[in-house]
Amino acid sequence: MPQVKTQDFFPASELSMQNAQLQEALKRAGTGFDGARQEAIAEVGHDIWEEWREEARQIKVHTLEHLDYYLELLTENVERAGGQVHFAKDAAQANAIVAELATSRGVRVAVKSKSMVSEELNLNEFLEQVGVEVYETDLGEYIIQLAGESPSHLVAPALHKTKEEVSQLLHQKLGVPLTDDIEAMARVARDVLRDKFFQAELGISGANFLVAETGTLVIITNEGNGRLCTSAPRIHIGITGMEKVIPSLQDLAVFLRLLPRSATGQPMTSYVSMISGPRRDNDEDGPEEFHLVLVDNGRTRLLADPDLRESLNCIRCGACLNICPVYQKVGGHAYGWVYPGPIGAVISPTLVGLKQAKDLPFASSLCGACREVCPVKINIPRMLLHQRHLLSESPDPAEKSVTLTESLLARLFTSLMSRPALLNTGRKLVRLLSRPWARNGIIRRAPLPPASRWTRQRDLPVLPQRSFRDLWKQELGSSEGISRTGASDTPSASESPVNRSQDG
Amino acid sequence: MVEHLGTPKAEFLASIRQALGRSAASPPVPPYPRLAESLADLEALERELRTRLETGRDARLEALAQTATQRGWNVKRAPNPEEALEYLSSVLTQLGVKRAVRSTEEVFQELAVDSTLHRPGIQMTIVARDETQPGETRPGETRSNKNHSGAALRQSMIDADIGITGADYAVAETGSVVVLPRAGLSRLVSLAPPVHLALVRPQDVVDTLDDLFLLRRLDYHRNGRDMGSYLNFITGPSRTADIEQTLVVGVHGPKEVHMVILG
Repeated sequence: MPQVKTQDFFPASELSMQNAQLQEALKRAGTGFDGARQEAIAEVGHDIWEEWREEARQIKVHTLEHLDYYLELLTENVERAGGQVHFAKDAAQANAIVAELATSRGVRVAVKSKSMVSEELNLNEFLEQVGVEVYETDLGEYIIQLAGESPSHLVAPALHKTKEEVSQLLHQKLGVPLTDDIEAMARVARDVLRDKFFQAELGISGANFLVAETGTLVIITNEGNGRLCTSAPRIHIGITGMEKVIPSLQDLAVFLRLLPRSATGQPMTSYVSMISGPRRDNDEDGPEEFHLVLVDNGRTRLLADPDLRESLNCIRCGACLNICPVYQKVGGHAYGWVYPGPIGAVISPTLVGLKQAKDLPFASSLCGACREVCPVKINIPRMLLHQRHLLSESPDPAEKSVTLTESLLARLFTSLMSRPALLNTGRKLVRLLSRPWARNGIIRRAPLPPASRWTRQRDLPVLPQRSFRDLWKQELGSSEGISRTGASDTPSASESPVNRSQDG
Repeated sequence: MVEHLGTPKAEFLASIRQALGRSAASPPVPPYPRLAESLADLEALERELRTRLETGRDARLEALAQTATQRGWNVKRAPNPEEALEYLSSVLTQLGVKRAVRSTEEVFQELAVDSTLHRPGIQMTIVARDETQPGETRPGETRSNKNHSGAALRQSMIDADIGITGADYAVAETGSVVVLPRAGLSRLVSLAPPVHLALVRPQDVVDTLDDLFLLRRLDYHRNGRDMGSYLNFITGPSRTADIEQTLVVGVHGPKEVHMVILG
């Protein structure tokens, strides 16, 4: 497994917040992707979009429930098309398979199109060790390979870099002049990589989908590097997670409608390449060998937990990253592993081990936006709560995330909440004590624990002058119409007196 | 030679069954409704589709033209061959094309592209491994064949200023051209040169992705369950937004694409 730093989410996110260049890059990225996504959906119409989401979800749920059957069918049909399928239970095995295929065929140069699974395996480093030069060919991946970094976004791997940083990097590594022209930077990558496509004996791709019925690997790309990687070299290896399979060719249509719109707001990407086996006798060109490597690497653990299974529905569009207030502040690297953002916070703890990723289920405000934008309707907040539950209830002290202080605080809170008089006195006392540190109603740095631990990553609002109980008594206590049972028909939120005086 | 590396399939699938809470020996599940469809079912759907495609052709071509334009194609609707060739000629002139490469497909028998390409200053390569193709080599024209080295053919595609292909299908919903493998069509003709021009026949235009996948499924089952080695959707020019989400057109594939609809 590659460098897993998931245990350091909170310290890493503090560093991210202090990293001016990263904050600038995140600011420039802004809400571009999400804005484009919303426009694309508006063009389709909300009702149709919801129908597509439901159809896609049902296809995924069905396929995962019968994953053994569909992988068997997929294997049969890849082999019928002249390809070979290899199964890898973990990262070490997956890397060994690719390395064995490469070295036994005398491969010296390999070109790669974007694959998150290969990042998960740290495949490039492994191949370099056995003497294979590997070139990432997606522009974003090429940039971070030059920089020796890992992707910070599922769709835009170099999102954390400003154009100034990219220009500086190309200047240092390739000796090209500094420029602020993004088109010129892209041209450098094209010129450098063009020769590599035709030198390489091996092309490695990921897969967005695998069609069981026809034994087809589907990749969805924009630059054309995916087509070149799977067309020019003599050997093509597709490497992907075992959950990517869908039953029939006709099931693909709905995913082609959902994925590009959710990822970049495009109604369709420039290229969709569907590959079924190696070149046939009658073909003019194309790879002579096709291998598909199906990777488990912890996915059976997600499959086995009914509460986490739906995380395998994910089609890696990145929409949940683009909308997440936490991701937008801390960027992808703080999450400590290949899968960032809300979906990363859900799957990483299971894939790398809960005790190694104790902070990640808490890397969310549970606002629910991720669930709303997910094209396959994954209920991410529910699963984050589930992970938190697992952590708090774990008998293993190494997994237990709840500190003694937190347990004591929780007990104190319970006891206060059940004694109204004590609660009232308590809140007045806390308000009084906290006021000297507040500015505009916000405490940025609390002086004493446990509040000081809270304010290391977040602001703490001062308790308001009037409590909810006070408001209830004053504004609603007299009017029995909106009774305490809350049985009134339609008191809309905007008319509620509580709402009006929330700044009180 | 078939080799299986890694975990044996049976063991891998058994661990999945276990994760799903089923016994290792549980029989295959009843298939998914779509997979249960017989060839006769698919053929019934095909008849409906063909009937639909027989009507409203002009509206379909117009829808394709509009969507394709939005996706970044330069679209020309050419109701007669003269207009198509005139358009091709103007593209060649505008770009100052010196080297062109084209595939061998039925559409080139319907449209005398070679007479337009055959002009002074243009070196043309025809990808034509199939020696049964009619036509003789003219001056300035190279015809690849079984004796022609793969490397030389590949180089001519890398060096070309424009690649010209037909289209097996075009999809109005997405504004895409669909290309399938065949003798006489290198994967690189529509990919390696900086400009791609695709000739679309009206009878190959379908409305939706569902239409296309139905037809491909039928071909698959009629062809002894062979899909062919690839199916490529091409939807506009190559592009990226990997640096600061700023759109750059033309990365590893063509930066300029033309769709000529012959109708």
